[in-house]
Amino acid sequence: MSGIRAAALAALLLPGAVQGQELPVVKLFTTGGTIQSLGKDRLKLAEYREGRIDGATIVEAVPEASRLARIEVEAISAVSSTRMGAEQGLPLARQLMTELERPEVAGAVVTHGTTTLEETAYFLHLTVRTTKPIVVIGSMRPWTAVSRDGPLNFLGAVRTVLTPEAAGKGVLVLLNDTIHSARFVTKRHTYHIETFVSPDVGPLGFADADRVVLYRSPVTRHTADTEFDLDGIEELPQVDVVYGYQEASRAPIDALVKEGAKGIILADGSPAYGNAVLEARAAGVVVVQGSRKGSGRVVLSDRTAARGEITADNLHPQKARILLRLALTRTTDARELQRIFNEY
Amino acid sequence: MSTERACATAAAALLAAAAAAAQEIPPLPPPGIDLPHVVLVSVGGEIATGCETPLELAGCESGGETFAPETWARDLPDVGLVARIVTEDLRALSRADGGAAPEHWYGLAGRLQQLAGDPEVDGVVVTHAAAGLADTAYFLNLVLPTRKPVVLVAAQRPWSAVSGDGPLNLYDAVRVAADPAAAGNGVLVVANQEVHAARDARRTSAYRMDGFGSVDLGPIGVADPDVVRFFTEPTRRHTHRSEFELAALPESLPAVEIMAAVPDAAGRLIDAAVAAGVKGLVVDGAGGLSGGQVEALRRARDQGIVVVATSAARAGRVPETVALRESGIIPGDNLTPTKARTLLRLALTQTSGPAEIRRFFAEY
Repeated sequence: MSGIRAAALAALLLPGAVQGQELPVVKLFTTGGTIQSLGKDRLKLAEYREGRIDGATIVEAVPEASRLARIEVEAISAVSSTRMGAEQGLPLARQLMTELERPEVAGAVVTHGTTTLEETAYFLHLTVRTTKPIVVIGSMRPWTAVSRDGPLNFLGAVRTVLTPEAAGKGVLVLLNDTIHSARFVTKRHTYHIETFVSPDVGPLGFADADRVVLYRSPVTRHTADTEFDLDGIEELPQVDVVYGYQEASRAPIDALVKEGAKGIILADGSPAYGNAVLEARAAGVVVVQGSRKGSGRVVLSDRTAARGEITADNLHPQKARILLRLALTRTTDARELQRIFNEY
Repeated sequence: MSTERACATAAAALLAAAAAAAQEIPPLPPPGIDLPHVVLVSVGGEIATGCETPLELAGCESGGETFAPETWARDLPDVGLVARIVTEDLRALSRADGGAAPEHWYGLAGRLQQLAGDPEVDGVVVTHAAAGLADTAYFLNLVLPTRKPVVLVAAQRPWSAVSGDGPLNLYDAVRVAADPAAAGNGVLVVANQEVHAARDARRTSAYRMDGFGSVDLGPIGVADPDVVRFFTEPTRRHTHRSEFELAALPESLPAVEIMAAVPDAAGRLIDAAVAAGVKGLVVDGAGGLSGGQVEALRRARDQGIVVVATSAARAGRVPETVALRESGIIPGDNLTPTKARTLLRLALTQTSGPAEIRRFFAEY
């Protein structure tokens, strides 16, 4: 399709955008992931190591988005999501805060690989002090795939940023027309289009063909209401996850304590963990009881509360880790840590 | 006198009797501990039904009579741990098997408005038949001007059933009604340790224990063994943010019927509903209308009858498409047909203008 025809079609589809009117700015931060990845041919759905496109290519491929907003692209990284972490997350959070302070910036879209997308999204949810919408997107299919989901996810994210009701709801995650809160969302499938879900609570809303609807607001603390402050923080305390299963040995816990971990999240447990946890606590390591089940809160019993144990609420272990890392920048007191797990 | 108003009058008469019959379930904590005040209102339902044997799971062989709220005080004194409870027997405002039908809604809402307006009352629990609960909850959600928790609760199995869900549901409903964090979220539905918003709650099983869900969305909170916890809040208008006023509603709500889209239907049912004087129609499954139904709807629209479409897929919004816009049919968002009918009946008390009706479906 020629550029002129595309523009004409976009004008028909999106009567809201008026020529000549100053458009709001939407920042697009790219980190890499499947949405920017290229496969050998269009039927390579799960194999795509042929390089990456940049943010500008995404913007050019969806001219309808540029009818709604002036998209400013910034590359943070170009890596698979398993390589993401605080090294990228800290500068990303800081850049988001700086850019979102500009009055003409309506909000931001962040591209990310899907495997750890929820971790970066939750980190931003806990640290970026703003009421402007931040929408983290990815795609389940590479940029080259037939029936790729990337372009529509991008357009949906821009439309969501420009939806007034999206403000103040914290960091949002959008794939497959569905808008989730970063607090609750998780990846539930390895490669299907319908993959991101919020197990205990469901999504907040939808970027539907006719309009963006938001039926819910998260009531946990986030973004503008966060107590976490990245000022002066160059790195975050080491926290790791230990998986629980039949006959699991205490070796991973001992090794982490020896290595100097400041916190451990237990994803369920094992009889062998009992003494290892007591010794870890005695050595000053904070241990939080989480669950590997993917849904439901870890219930506080009178017995565990009396022993000063900390529970991860219904945070998945990988998200409990993010929260504990931030919480440990402020306190190591068990009651205070439990308050943080209850509130965020 | 209309059915609704007649029932409201009957409700007023009931109140005097109810006030006299009100019974307090004795609080369990030691004196001096100040518990929230919760009124436990019964309009019956499985949760207020005792069968002869515990294996009558899908209703009583003998039909089953609902019991008076005093039975809960005897069977479940544990609720006295979390609230000071006064029971109120409003079973007269329900059908024989329990549950308020539309003709009981004015009466029930009127009494709940009084209770919620009482400064001594912190929250209200209403027991209800599982069938119809979601519709009663949505009506109350649209007309009760309160911020206090009003919690509807049901059971999938009779109170007397082995492993019945009634006792825990009732205990959890009282905990939610007594929880200050429940306030301002509109009318709530508690089932299976989950807390649902009235707008989105619906029956998801006729008989099994996962009886309620918020399809498309999800629960807004949980009633876990340790705490009641809210995760999200509903953004659509309700209760204290609703523009509907119970006292300003007409004697009876405008007539609205639900029509199923059927690919080879002649459209006669639509014509019949129009001839019977309906003010509005809800069409379930607008994408599957027959040619005859499309013609019949056009005739209805020409007479000023408002038509709203819901999705027969049972999940997802009806998007505003060019085809719908051209046919003058208003999308019913993601409401169930019966809830779309309730909202349309209320909206028609304010306007029959399509733009305004559209606004109601976007905001509520």
